[in-house]
Amino acid sequence: MSGTKTELSSVETRHPSFVFSLNGVETKIQTASSRRLVDLLRTDLDLPGTKIGCEIGRCGACMVLIDGKPSNSCLTMAYQCEGKDVETIEGMNGESLDPVQKLFLEEGALQCGYCTPGMVMSLKGLLKEKEKPTYEEMKESISGNICRCTGYGGINRVLRKLSEG
Amino acid sequence: MHLNEQTNSRPWRIRPDGQAKVTGELRYLTDMTSPGKLIGRVLRSGVPHARLLSVDTSKAKELPGVVSVLTSKDVPGLNGFGIAEPNQPVFCEDLIRYEGDAIAAVAAETNEIAERALELIEFEYEELPVLDTPEKALSSDAPLLHAEGNILHETSYSKGDVQKAFNLCHAIVEETYETPRQMHAFMETEGGIFVPEKHGKLTVYSPTQHGYKDQMQLARILGIPADDIRVVSSPIGGSFGGKDELNVQPFGALLALSSGKPVKMHYSRKESVIAGLKRHPMKVRMKSGVNQKGKLIAHQVEIISDTGAYATLGGPVLNFATEHAIGCYIIPHIELKGKAVYTNNGISGEFRGFGGNQVIFALEGQMDRLAEKINVDPWELRSRNLRTLHDLGPLGQRVLPNDGPSQVWEAIQETPLYKKTEHPPSVDEPWIVTGKGMSLAMHGSGLGYGIPDPAGGQIRLNEQGKIEVAFGHEEFGQGLLGTLEIMLLDHFNCDVEDLEIIIGDTALVPPSGSSTASRTTNMVWRALQNMKRPFLDKLFFKVNELTGEPVEQLQTGKNGIWKEAKQGEGREFVLTFQELAASCTEPLKCSTEFDFPVTPDPVIGGHYLYGSTSVIAEVEVNMLTGMIRVTGIDHVVAAGEVVNPLGYLGQIEGGSIMALGFTIIEDALMENGNYVTKNFDTYLVPTIADVPEIQHVEAVEELPEGDVHGPRGVGEIGSVALAPAIVSAIKQATGKWVTKLPVNPETILNVWDEPFPMDKEERKKGRERV
Repeated sequence: MSGTKTELSSVETRHPSFVFSLNGVETKIQTASSRRLVDLLRTDLDLPGTKIGCEIGRCGACMVLIDGKPSNSCLTMAYQCEGKDVETIEGMNGESLDPVQKLFLEEGALQCGYCTPGMVMSLKGLLKEKEKPTYEEMKESISGNICRCTGYGGINRVLRKLSEG
Repeated sequence: MHLNEQTNSRPWRIRPDGQAKVTGELRYLTDMTSPGKLIGRVLRSGVPHARLLSVDTSKAKELPGVVSVLTSKDVPGLNGFGIAEPNQPVFCEDLIRYEGDAIAAVAAETNEIAERALELIEFEYEELPVLDTPEKALSSDAPLLHAEGNILHETSYSKGDVQKAFNLCHAIVEETYETPRQMHAFMETEGGIFVPEKHGKLTVYSPTQHGYKDQMQLARILGIPADDIRVVSSPIGGSFGGKDELNVQPFGALLALSSGKPVKMHYSRKESVIAGLKRHPMKVRMKSGVNQKGKLIAHQVEIISDTGAYATLGGPVLNFATEHAIGCYIIPHIELKGKAVYTNNGISGEFRGFGGNQVIFALEGQMDRLAEKINVDPWELRSRNLRTLHDLGPLGQRVLPNDGPSQVWEAIQETPLYKKTEHPPSVDEPWIVTGKGMSLAMHGSGLGYGIPDPAGGQIRLNEQGKIEVAFGHEEFGQGLLGTLEIMLLDHFNCDVEDLEIIIGDTALVPPSGSSTASRTTNMVWRALQNMKRPFLDKLFFKVNELTGEPVEQLQTGKNGIWKEAKQGEGREFVLTFQELAASCTEPLKCSTEFDFPVTPDPVIGGHYLYGSTSVIAEVEVNMLTGMIRVTGIDHVVAAGEVVNPLGYLGQIEGGSIMALGFTIIEDALMENGNYVTKNFDTYLVPTIADVPEIQHVEAVEELPEGDVHGPRGVGEIGSVALAPAIVSAIKQATGKWVTKLPVNPETILNVWDEPFPMDKEERKKGRERV
């Protein structure tokens, strides 16, 4: 996903434009300054890999990376993305699965899967910041991501393996 | 079989829908969109009890961008829904019974316009007294919430003479237990997209646990034939029972047909909280007595269930609670009464465990208290009273021979947590006290006697040369697709690429009954058993016709049909599935229809098949704050063969943590009929910081001789028995019995009338005083 350029403008021409990098692609969007990033992604850009769960920053389903830092996209407005580097789950997918995603599969760290993109983004954020985080650090990094299905059994196995591996 | 490591007879298998989930590529039904779609929104009453006098939608209709505005007058068919009893209006007509009652719905070009339109709808009402407890609703001067009264359903069961028996008891314990209004809190809220098709037909893409049931209910509302409605019901971002009943569907369907455009709906969390189902809060009074030998001889139970404004499955949930208030214990004298009471509180309905969780908390609490009273080990007391292989079921009905309770009673004593010796109190944090507790339960699967419980499936060799199975079930995370894949690979020894699994789409699948009640694994297992031989016969007969190879030497395998190995020679490839499919003029297919096994005795709600579980929990209680940390949970589950070890483990781990929430933190609080915990800032569910790192899960697979009913589902059983184990552990740690869930830290702090004693001996004395 590079080399192309995305432009999106809404009917309301009085809206300002915002330019930011989305998964490595320069993206220009004309929209209300206060439009939530989660709506830009899910509705305007049809990138529904980022989920929506509570809209108050309590469940982590909408987690994305902004300049490498995990951020709830439900609490981020369009103007806050100006000039920033926004990465979503769609941007994580290369030729093959990365080790975190692969471990999620192998350890049964997902069931319905609705929290999984957010979980993966939170962990990726930590791994960007720190190459070898401890188990406790990883646990803390996803303590703002709710999983209602697994009881965190599989997720704990993933963290344990990552911290040992 | 210990399930935590990959040392099982079957290896762990990656779920087939997993890759699309970890990459975010899977489109859930609420992620779907359609060109020119409208956004559907619902106007809710906001008041819990009122007479609705008028609704004026004229201003909303004039707003540019609004395409459709509907009220009760616009429902062409039945203005009502409800799986068991359709007494919930799609739109209120005259009486508002809860704050989530729908007054009107709007379809508009954008969410913002739809929201503005809702504000422009005017409705007048006259408030009525709020019946916010079952007690108020039962009082003689209470206004009636439904024409038939304020009681949805009553149960009663008795045997022997309980009053006389109490007189003969050596010890009696009487206690009232209360359980919370737990929220399903699936991460994906209710929603979907509703697409009008040619000739007045409709396609519904919306999560449910029974696509054909939604089709039937929607046909009733829309006044069109069921066949004109296609329901695509899978994949789903979690349900736990909470999406079993209709939610957005009536509104989306009506708006799509009236506007002629696709309508997308997706509840906010707040709307999901207000409108959605919850677990029935129950008040369970139990009086139970034992004789000198510690044998239960009398058991009296009264269950009051707050069913909220409408029926949905409140009746069957009470039936289930009634049966499980006796559970796996043999008691000669029983008197049991239950009432499901309408109130102006939300709506209670189907939720993982289905009424079992509440009464098992009470029943196991009684066992622990009786044991303490007669100074017998609580596990020993259970053993003296457990059912044996050929005993009748809890309601005196004949059941399949079942000694699961004894199996799990035994097996829990081998788990790491059971064997762990108590760790000494920390010198640094003497205010942290620890305890362990155990509990046991039996849990029925299937819908029970008196409710139609059909099942079925199809298998065929499709045009692409794949073995294709089709079931009217849904994948909401439980792992049905993975379990089916494993079963199919076992049956046909083929490659994953040779398989095609179709579920959750009424245009493509046969009716299979609901994906609820721990029934799905069991039913697809049975369906494949029924279809395998006739399907293989058809395949091999055709191959014989084509190649002359003898039928009895043929077998399925990787990519196609093989001829079995002869002495000294390897097996021989005969032809590919594609070649076989291409040479068929008639598709090779089989189907099956049958019912979930049910007791022959006419005992409403009585079950025939059960799973059993025992659980041990370890807690740390902070005596300065009253906060509880669950530091260990081990589960034993007896539910027949483990088909999918990773899926099984996940169901128990996940069910267990949902039960941890039920026990110590979760409660959807209401005040005067209004929710006060409207989102995850105040309704807390466990995070990774709140759970033990490892839960050991042990599966007992041996079924009694002659049991041909195969693997039972385990979707619910991990969630039913943890609460009493935690409460028993808290008692051990603090000396305090808890009767109301979730455990209120203050009730634990009250143990100590004086400042917390730092000296261990002092603390011990304090406990003895309690």
